[in-house]
Amino acid sequence: MNRSRQLNRVGAASLARWIVITALLAAAGLCYVYLTLQLHRLGDRKKSLETELVGLRTQNDVANVQIAALTSRSALQRRLKEGYLKMIPIAEQNIVRLAPIRPAPEENAIRPVANDQVSR
Amino acid sequence: MRWNGRTRCALVCIGFVLLFSAFSFRLIYLQLVKHDEYAGLAAEKHVYKQPIYAERGAITDANGEVLAHNVPVEIVVADTSHLNKEKVAEAVALLSRDLKIDADELWGKLGSDRHYIVLKRDVPESAADALRAKLREQNLRGIYFEHDAARLYPNGSMLCHVIGFTDFDHKGIQGVEASMDEYLRGQDGYRYIEHNRAGQEIVLYRGQERASRDGYQVHLSVDLNLQNIVENEIDAAVREYSPERATILLMRPQTGEVLAMANRPNFDLNQRSTARPEQMKNRAVIDMMEPGSTFKIVTAAAALNEKKVRPDTTIYCEKGIWNYGGRTLHDHRPYGELSVQDILVKSSNIGAAKLAISLGDQKFYEYIRRFGFGERTGVELPGEINGMIRPPQNWSKISITRIPMGHEVAVTPLQMTVAMATIANGGKLITPRVVKSITTADGKTISEFSPSVVRQVISEETAKQIGRALRGVVSDRGTAAAAAVPGFIIAGKTGTAQKVDPHGGYEKGKYIVSFTGFLPADHPEFVGLVVLDDAKTSKPELNYGGLVAGPIFARIAEKAARYLDLAPQPDLIKPTAAGRVASTSAPGH
Repeated sequence: MNRSRQLNRVGAASLARWIVITALLAAAGLCYVYLTLQLHRLGDRKKSLETELVGLRTQNDVANVQIAALTSRSALQRRLKEGYLKMIPIAEQNIVRLAPIRPAPEENAIRPVANDQVSR
Repeated sequence: MRWNGRTRCALVCIGFVLLFSAFSFRLIYLQLVKHDEYAGLAAEKHVYKQPIYAERGAITDANGEVLAHNVPVEIVVADTSHLNKEKVAEAVALLSRDLKIDADELWGKLGSDRHYIVLKRDVPESAADALRAKLREQNLRGIYFEHDAARLYPNGSMLCHVIGFTDFDHKGIQGVEASMDEYLRGQDGYRYIEHNRAGQEIVLYRGQERASRDGYQVHLSVDLNLQNIVENEIDAAVREYSPERATILLMRPQTGEVLAMANRPNFDLNQRSTARPEQMKNRAVIDMMEPGSTFKIVTAAAALNEKKVRPDTTIYCEKGIWNYGGRTLHDHRPYGELSVQDILVKSSNIGAAKLAISLGDQKFYEYIRRFGFGERTGVELPGEINGMIRPPQNWSKISITRIPMGHEVAVTPLQMTVAMATIANGGKLITPRVVKSITTADGKTISEFSPSVVRQVISEETAKQIGRALRGVVSDRGTAAAAAVPGFIIAGKTGTAQKVDPHGGYEKGKYIVSFTGFLPADHPEFVGLVVLDDAKTSKPELNYGGLVAGPIFARIAEKAARYLDLAPQPDLIKPTAAGRVASTSAPGH
């Protein structure tokens, strides 16, 4: 009687331990699969971002080249000749040259400037 | 032996043990002993080293204006093993139309069984994108695109000899592109990547990676505004005089910075494949010429520095004809007594010869070498030559009378400019520079070139004495009145040398005319040199340095002074250089 009772007894603690271990293992496996998939997905995203970045850099380079070509001296001179740009040479008498600034005697003193050309 | 159940069971077990042991040993052998070998073979199938190309650095002028940079382009390649044989005609029609390649040439290329055929280089991004879309639309396989970069020069032919160019492998082969290639090139990186059967990268298995380092930016000392002035004037000179060759240089004497350098003939850097070799030569550093009378500054400086004479010492110039060593030496005018200063002002050959004789062969030769002639200046331009200065033991009896007036020697235009810069710089010989600094793309300085004084050639006092004498050259008394700039005192020297015939002797009626000078004479801001080889003047008697090269220098100096904001002296504003030409009767020499 006692023997049969002993044989049929379910080890609840042991079962629970196994269930927990199995559950943990399953969760770990699922986590592993999930994380691996995430890594692949992030890798693909990284790749597409890299491709996008390369594309943007290329566009930027092309734009820089166009800017350099349009603002180059040769291009500006061509536009000047064609009359797209209007530039008038500055006559010598229209240039005002300031005398070199002399150090002020005091911190807040007003420093006069002189136009040598005019004063002569 | 009886085979009972127990024995049979034991035998089966032993069999299994042996079998699994064999498997285990094989597994261990494969995983441990042969691991590297098989891993390598597997990697060959799926892993490859992807290069990460470095971008070539830009070249800019002194103000940061871009002179050379890169434009992204694509290379169109074909793998004929991936081409659908039935669709080759369709591919040829499309590629021929879009890439502008001859259809027969395409048939030849696509008809072969090669795996890598370059169809066209330097295809712009926009054209490549359009072609890619059409290929996808027509479901044509076997045509691929590779990223590349083409070198672009926004200013075309301007400063072409200094900038230089690269070959299709992006290796500099001329100019600064060649001399600074080490800095401009950068360092390619790499990345080990694994791809799936579709050829797409599995980013998760990305291996070792080394980032690329883009090339450094090279900043030149050349100022494009000054270069533009020089280019316009050299073009005007070519239109007016149709010389075989022409060179103009501007240099800052205190630092040796080359501010402008132009040669004719020239070429467009963006269409270099059509240029002839003679167009590509930077004649400022690889061509040598007899300098003519400009060389007299060396003779006079040497004699003054050795205290053989003083500036006011008079020398008898034999009334224009002097027999020495069995040969006659002429002056273009019959001068009697001339001071050392006036020997330069009037450009007396006999006076210069007598100054050199007072020094002696060896001493004179020493001074020529001290001024930097006969050796490379050290400028960062490839192919620079030494020039030709023979040692005294190889001189003839009359060499001491011919070398002082710039004959029997060959110098480069840059050497001549450096010699004049030595006078302007108080006797200090400075190494000329075209490169100002090297920086990273974000502006961090890698290297900065500071002025390098080679030696003190002559004393400061001697340099001042020569400078004072050279002011007289650009006056109504001198040979280069036409080189005067209103508002400024200019010091300079003219040169007119008969052209050397490569077959021996001199070419009749052909001259190399030059003018070299600095401005303002008191505190020079720049030194300039103008050289025209075989200028065609309306009358042969007008083909003199003072009349041809002098006015060109004056126009450049006037504009350069305005650009550099040099204040003119109001009391020196006189009639223009052109007006002075008419007033002077003495031809420039």
